[in-house]
Amino acid sequence: MSQKVLVFEPTKCIGCRLCEQWCSLTHHHVSNPAKSCIKIIRDHHIQIDFATYCHQCNKPACIDACKFEALTKDDETGAIIINEDNCIGCRACIRECPFAAPSMHPSKKIVLICDLCGGDPECVKHCPEEAIQYTDVERADNLYRTIFVKEMAEKMIKEAK
Amino acid sequence: MSSETLGTGYHGKLLRVNLSTKEVSTEDLPKNLWEKFLGGRGLGAYFLTKEVAPDIVPLSTENKLIFMNGALSGTAIPGNNKICLTFKSPLTNSYSYSLCGGHFGPELKYAGYDGLIIEGKANSPVYLWINNDEIQIKDAQYIWGQLVPESEDRIRKELKGDAAIQIAVIGTAGEKLNKYACITSSYYREFGRGGGGTVMGSKNLKGIAIRGTKDVKYANFQLSLDLSEQLASNLRESPGGKIRRAYGTPELVEKINGNGFWITNNFQKGTFEDAAKLSGPQMRKNIVFGDSSCFACPIACGKRSSITLSNGQKMIMEGPEFETIGMLGSNCGISDWETLLKATKICDTNGFDTINAGACVSMVMEAYETEKLTLAQLDNLELKFGNKIALLQVLKLIAERKGIGDILAEGPKIASEKLGIPELAMHSKGQALAVYDPRGAKAMALTYATSQKGAHHMNATTMGFEINSGTRLKIKNKGLLQRNHQFSMCICDSIGICSTMRAGIPHLDQAKAFTAVTGIEVDETKLNLIAERIINMERMYNVQLGFSRKDDTLPKRFTEEPMPKGNGDGEGETVDLDALLDDFYIQMGWDKNGIPTKEKLKDLALLD
Repeated sequence: MSQKVLVFEPTKCIGCRLCEQWCSLTHHHVSNPAKSCIKIIRDHHIQIDFATYCHQCNKPACIDACKFEALTKDDETGAIIINEDNCIGCRACIRECPFAAPSMHPSKKIVLICDLCGGDPECVKHCPEEAIQYTDVERADNLYRTIFVKEMAEKMIKEAK
Repeated sequence: MSSETLGTGYHGKLLRVNLSTKEVSTEDLPKNLWEKFLGGRGLGAYFLTKEVAPDIVPLSTENKLIFMNGALSGTAIPGNNKICLTFKSPLTNSYSYSLCGGHFGPELKYAGYDGLIIEGKANSPVYLWINNDEIQIKDAQYIWGQLVPESEDRIRKELKGDAAIQIAVIGTAGEKLNKYACITSSYYREFGRGGGGTVMGSKNLKGIAIRGTKDVKYANFQLSLDLSEQLASNLRESPGGKIRRAYGTPELVEKINGNGFWITNNFQKGTFEDAAKLSGPQMRKNIVFGDSSCFACPIACGKRSSITLSNGQKMIMEGPEFETIGMLGSNCGISDWETLLKATKICDTNGFDTINAGACVSMVMEAYETEKLTLAQLDNLELKFGNKIALLQVLKLIAERKGIGDILAEGPKIASEKLGIPELAMHSKGQALAVYDPRGAKAMALTYATSQKGAHHMNATTMGFEINSGTRLKIKNKGLLQRNHQFSMCICDSIGICSTMRAGIPHLDQAKAFTAVTGIEVDETKLNLIAERIINMERMYNVQLGFSRKDDTLPKRFTEEPMPKGNGDGEGETVDLDALLDDFYIQMGWDKNGIPTKEKLKDLALLD
């Protein structure tokens, strides 16, 4: 099976944070956005919602940063799996992640990283706008390319006017 | 902190902050209170009645700001973002409450509190920082005098720039005690009506910042999740949900103007010639670049707008909403987006209600056009309907409380009395009417006249039903319709979901959700009974102040002046308010004078 990854499009996101809800509901059986592995942040000035989330890097900086063998990469899904016994909550992975994805569990004092819900992410299932998708790497990159080209085209049209 | 939680859905915990003594304490909110009042607006009624004597002066230290979440707030049930603020209003001198969406209420819930009561008055400007169990009253002198966005930004900066913090602030309007000042969260979500921001300003409280990382739990976890999924999907698929998703509240422009009761030129007419320019689809086409949701809402009725101004600058904002497009648009004769967005921005950034502001401005516009006010009385602003520059200038004067603006900041009732034009002020109990002319939807007359907080459309949004059922102009059975809609709104306001959710979450499902989350057994009948209890409590607060039928009024424009020719078939219509009131009071079990009978209060367990 080809590897699948999460991709997020800010222009589609409405900022309802249902993804945060379902992440905490699925993993912790409570509603608590602070326990969610995906986090939505709104910029009020430009009126856009951004997400921080795990990109399932092939050479994960978080695993490199961890000195305690608390993080491994799942062979099948490519998700980062946390060994809670080994994690000391040093936050080195948070610092090294290029996407600011890991966060601290608010009470357990260990890190939270997306486990892709074992290969069927709940955030994706419950996003009303398909702002976050779980798709194979090639399609994910084509998606980025499409957005890039569209934005470039719009810019060129605007400049031409 | 889960060991402290008394319930599921709700925490059973209230935070109380006294700004005079700097005392901070917590109290239990036991299950029986949730059974009796549901939360939100219901618990607001319980606490205001219990703790704030009706005869206090609204801007004195004796007034309180009572913020109450619903039991569903912060849960997986869609649209659970409305937090209710209850207070005595400086605009109406009556009972008042105001609901705010966005993300502020849920964050208070995640901090571990169902509610927050603020009392007393700080010696100098402060803001409140609620970081889970850690509560601080912090200096705000350095932000006093700042606009809404700057105030929020500065507080966030001081709190290490954490974007997860939810912040609500007053702008300069609240500081200057503009009588219809808002409290604003994340720039564009407001406790909008009745002057909650004015009370906050009178307490020297500039803002409230909240960060919460606690759990909200479920009585029946799996059922709550199933309902969450089902209801979100129902909402998205419902016709009401779909049209709000596409156009937001401005979808109503075509509907209300098309039926000829969209207020125009200070409520003189119900048809605006240029309405087509301001319709939902036109707004989407011309200025909207994205959609914005409140917490846990799959609809996203908020519209993100962007416009390049004539000076070349780009302006980005959320909104304007339908009420604003009417009050500052059709009502003032304005039909271009640039002026509307600029006008909205003045209100939003200074922090005052666009509805009352619009009614005040249109009032003086009519007075000027009919030569009841002179140019000199209006600071030489040529306030004719449609004068874009004058509209923006007078709004700035209201913001600054200068000249005519200082008078208009007192609200439509006081301002009109001061200016000698009371017949031109479109208010009830001092609160401006919203954009639905009651001559064109008769139950809306009751919505405005019988609201305890003055003319507020969200007391009962009957107009949609009245249009769809073809009964707009009839008065038969409107008492019952009004009663049912007031109950319906009160249930949403109390359990903590946005009333827009009714498009896909009927009361049956609201009851199921409430029970699944809290474990408290309710059904539709019980929800209605509780709503009736809450409304009667609100009513009795005003009755103690001497309010009765004589205060359930409408401006004579609607009861005496026939509706001019326009869209729909409402030409010549007036409102027979007396007949409507008679019917409504009977439906409510109130006496002819609009006062709840002893039997009714006993039935509702409000009297021994």
